[in-house]
Amino acid sequence: MNDEAVRSDMSDPDADSTDRERDDAALEAAVDAPRGDVSREWELFVRESTDDPLTHAGSVSAPSAEIAREQAEWLFGWTAETLWLCPADETRRFAADGVALADRTGETATDDSVGAGETGGEEA
Amino acid sequence: MISVSKLLCDLDAEGDGLRYDAADESEKAQIRERKQRRPVVVWNCTKQCNLYCDHCYAAAETEPAPGELTTAEGKRFLDELAEFGAPVVLFSGGEPLAREDLVELVAHASDAGLRPVLSTNGTLLTEERAVALREAGLKYVGVSVDGMPERNDAFRGQTGAFDRALDGIAASQSAGLKTGLRYTITRHNAGDLEDVVALLAERGVDRFCFYHLDYGGRGAEIRDVDLTPEERREAVRRVCDLTREYHDRGHEIETLLVGNYADAGYLVEYARRELGEAAADRIRGYLLKNGGDPTGERIADVDYQGNAHLTQFWQGYSLGNVRDRPFGDIWTDEFNPLLDALREREHHLTGRCADCRYQDICRGGSRLRALSVGDDPFGPDPQCYLTPEERGIDGEAGVPGAAD
Repeated sequence: MNDEAVRSDMSDPDADSTDRERDDAALEAAVDAPRGDVSREWELFVRESTDDPLTHAGSVSAPSAEIAREQAEWLFGWTAETLWLCPADETRRFAADGVALADRTGETATDDSVGAGETGGEEA
Repeated sequence: MISVSKLLCDLDAEGDGLRYDAADESEKAQIRERKQRRPVVVWNCTKQCNLYCDHCYAAAETEPAPGELTTAEGKRFLDELAEFGAPVVLFSGGEPLAREDLVELVAHASDAGLRPVLSTNGTLLTEERAVALREAGLKYVGVSVDGMPERNDAFRGQTGAFDRALDGIAASQSAGLKTGLRYTITRHNAGDLEDVVALLAERGVDRFCFYHLDYGGRGAEIRDVDLTPEERREAVRRVCDLTREYHDRGHEIETLLVGNYADAGYLVEYARRELGEAAADRIRGYLLKNGGDPTGERIADVDYQGNAHLTQFWQGYSLGNVRDRPFGDIWTDEFNPLLDALREREHHLTGRCADCRYQDICRGGSRLRALSVGDDPFGPDPQCYLTPEERGIDGEAGVPGAAD
């Protein structure tokens, strides 16, 4: 696959959120627990051909974006035409009511489930 | 896992239904039907450990990790494993006994219909806790002992760890729990193999699990002390010989080889030499049912933060997180090309695995080691020690070198 990194616009994706209609019941629950520990975790997205959707294919642990790219390419380079990597600690995960594990248990996330020093996202 | 005692000595054990589809032949309680098609799930329920072992695949530390699954989350996760049909949950770590709610979690797993088993360093296992775990429904305790005292303690980073592990084994046995010993071989402790088996026999330990080193976590940092193919071949031969010698003397130890499916091919060759063609054919039949390396198929791992992995050793790549969706949905996701390819890896294997005569019972061995050494998840396993003749390759000779 092509080694060239594709840079995207990283401006605030919620800048126009006040203009949108929001469904209060949907995607409000923040899945706010960390996914990484010693190394940074990188969410990994793969597209196998240009007419396929970009699909979440898990995550890799790596201390830098370059090493994450290397690892992702070892795992998926044989089939992917596009790889995207997003730092898990910069990724906000939202789920509809009842989907996230904390909801499935019937308990809400407590301070105990997010360790000191972990932001877990602004929503935590 | 390959049961040497089952294949060479016909020892009956609980796991045979899972390993060889041989439940009907067994008098022991067996795992059957739908559950045979679901993975055994290792749950690293904490990162915290009181020891610091050189080969720890989970890179455990003395403190818990941030965001470890809570008791309530753990129980829901266990319910979902049971609903998915997972046959076994292996509580591992870190050191699972560092979790104060372990007995509660084991009881929950057992009540949900899972078979709960424990992997521990043994040093925190008192008789009181062992009894509580047995009453909670725990079915098996595996204690890590990586050599005789000096070498084990050096490996585990704490003087006295060996003696305390033996105390833990005694506590487990005293509580009436089936108890095994797991030993991961490296050049540092290969010389202790026979003494460890003798110790196990003397102590009446039920099972011996011989682990090959996998290259995950801190295990990847000690590849330089891994065995050469020649040394590995000799060690596996010794496990086979010892198993038969003990059985011949009436001591029916259960011995298992774990983590390198070149052992499957070797066992067929060993049986052909030592027991004859009929035994070799029968053993090959069992190993076909066993299905070879289980990565992404019959073994799975979920870590302390809920990340699902292809095996417990392969912590650097996660398929998804059980906080986002249930484990069964992650495991059956049809949109992950790596997971798909691992499940039909016979179409993807390269190098000497591609045309090996034992590919159907080995399936390329460890995909993590192939990735770690060759940067290719479908390349050859560097730990393969079968000769070209054994692999059915003409024009080559001798035991393959690590770089072959």
